[in-house]
Amino acid sequence: MKKRSGSFPYILITPALAITILIIFIPMFRTFTYSLTNYILWKPAERGFIGLQNYRQAFSDPILLLSLKNTVIWIVVIIAGQFLLGLSTAMLLNRDFIGRGIARSLILIPWVTPSVITALMWRWMYDGNYGVINEILVRLGILDVYFPFLASSSAALWAIMLALLWQGFPFFAVMILAGLQAIPNELYEAAEVDGAGNLVKFFRITLPMLKPVILTTILLRTIWVANSLDIIFIMTGGGPGYSTYTLPLYSYIRAYKGFDFGYSSVIAILLTIFLIVFIAGYIKSILKEGEK
Amino acid sequence: MKKIGLVLLCLVIAGTTFAKGASEPEGAQNVTFWYHFDDPETALNPLIEKFEVENPGITINAERVAWDVYNQKLLTSVAGGNPPDVAQVKLWWQPQLVEMKALLPLDSYIAAWDGKDDVFDKIWDLTKYSDGNQYYMPLQMVILYLYYRVDMFEELGLEVPKTREEFLKAAKALTRDTDGDGNIDVYGFGIRGARGGHDWWGTFVLSSGAKFFDANGNSGLTTPEAIAANQWYIDLYRVHGVSPPTTPADGFKEIIANMISGRTAMTIHHLGSSTKLEEALGDKISAAPVPRGTEGYWTSFGDEENAIFAVSDVPDAAFKWTSFLATAENNAVWQKSSGQVSVNKSNATAGGNRFLKATTDSADFAGVLPANPGTAEFVESLWPALMQQAFLGEITSKDMMQAIADHFAK
Repeated sequence: MKKRSGSFPYILITPALAITILIIFIPMFRTFTYSLTNYILWKPAERGFIGLQNYRQAFSDPILLLSLKNTVIWIVVIIAGQFLLGLSTAMLLNRDFIGRGIARSLILIPWVTPSVITALMWRWMYDGNYGVINEILVRLGILDVYFPFLASSSAALWAIMLALLWQGFPFFAVMILAGLQAIPNELYEAAEVDGAGNLVKFFRITLPMLKPVILTTILLRTIWVANSLDIIFIMTGGGPGYSTYTLPLYSYIRAYKGFDFGYSSVIAILLTIFLIVFIAGYIKSILKEGEK
Repeated sequence: MKKIGLVLLCLVIAGTTFAKGASEPEGAQNVTFWYHFDDPETALNPLIEKFEVENPGITINAERVAWDVYNQKLLTSVAGGNPPDVAQVKLWWQPQLVEMKALLPLDSYIAAWDGKDDVFDKIWDLTKYSDGNQYYMPLQMVILYLYYRVDMFEELGLEVPKTREEFLKAAKALTRDTDGDGNIDVYGFGIRGARGGHDWWGTFVLSSGAKFFDANGNSGLTTPEAIAANQWYIDLYRVHGVSPPTTPADGFKEIIANMISGRTAMTIHHLGSSTKLEEALGDKISAAPVPRGTEGYWTSFGDEENAIFAVSDVPDAAFKWTSFLATAENNAVWQKSSGQVSVNKSNATAGGNRFLKATTDSADFAGVLPANPGTAEFVESLWPALMQQAFLGEITSKDMMQAIADHFAK
């Protein structure tokens, strides 16, 4: 016979729920109401309800479409890159070698470096006049002359993604390393007895056992990476032109450079919808996998 | 034991209450002041001390706000109903602040202020708003001029350019491979292609036929002359290659670093960077007014003023502070931190410093961006994006000028 717990659980979650409503749901609702107005900060007299006009404008806005495209590239490339780099780093750090403890600590440096410092550091490394990356590439004979990475509309986004890849992969590495250490050794021993090679062990034991960790980490990082704009803002400010605009950056620039909070809210809402659809699809596919 | 603790607590509370009463006499007024430069020790703190001694009962609470977010913090504080009493402001924010009814008109205060005649007349003219009111109190000024490398000019036997044709000729000659490795090491002109570079652009485009608004209030940016002037400027980078390949992304730091390292031989900036450049280059760096365009001269008047906010409950004390800073003796001290030029006639010095001379020689043709609510966004995000696209060949000169005209027509 199950004992009914009455209202006690609800009392326990009330503070958390109240805070969530206060700092998440109320601002979200406000953002939605802003999106239906022509809320330009310096035109308080003209502020009023304009229905879906901002949304109509958004769907024919070429900068928004470019930002959306960049956001998709941004998420897919960075998450895939960080995952692969994190996985290989974790596999390496899971082996026995001299100085493993130090290596495990050092690997965290990019992750704990503040984004502002990461951005400034990479900006100077990429510098087209004095940057160390250019110097190395020229000395290796890969480039003839210095290349202005951040002044090129075809290279700038990829250059910033590389910086974020560097910054974020330790999180994957640490999470996956924790997952690797939780895999019982007996499984590998049993596989070896059955004559399994390294590849078979990796695909049949390691990856399936790591799956929950990998899926959770990808989910978290997707949300964080999709919303991140600080590194782009500091490295290029969205330029050259609009070539490194992503949705959160565009929303920020509309709000704090153009002071157009109505249109900025529309971009924020579209980003939220995009993320919800993306993540819902992701979770659905995970659940489907689980049922198999 | 408990009693002793209680007595001590009472004493502490009473002490702090009395201490507060002692330090804040009846009628004490606190003036909140926002500023944005890095070093308050040199000038601001001594000025505050002096002001508070001269004006007992008024306290200045100075708060530094980072320049990158200054404008947005100021506007959001106004929208939130809690701006400072006084803030450092720039001219191109004035239309938005007036539209928000954020500013206190200062005409009656200024009329009664003894020091008004010692401020340059041109500054009063430039800072007066189009509705006829004076909302801004002058604080500092700069005028942009041409920096050039004396040693490089001498080495190539070049004269300092006075027209844009001479300028292009000099820039082409200065752009060269100095070590014989087949790559260009020195570029003739450092263009600021990122945010803030509209002043470089204005020097060549607004002096050669382009106007934000013509005499009838229509856009003067899309005329054939204006588009050609813009094309001429784009070609400096795209066709003639006289500025570094990094130009579209170059901001203030890059421009100055390139001059110091000898990567560029000319650039445009103001007195604010002269100390740093002179420290690094000594006599190798000098200055002259910007070259003449096809229609005349244009250079940017860089301004900074103080504004008093309409909701301030201490407007009289706030005006005392702003007028104190605009008084010759104090204004001269202020410029030690700003590195810029005093707004007072009695502080004007003739000759001497070559950078100051370039500034005063340019005073007659220095101009400002239009007093239009669209100017702030033009400066902050529209111009950099369009200019970079034009430099990279993604849009034409006409597209760029049309987009700016459309923005100001909104």
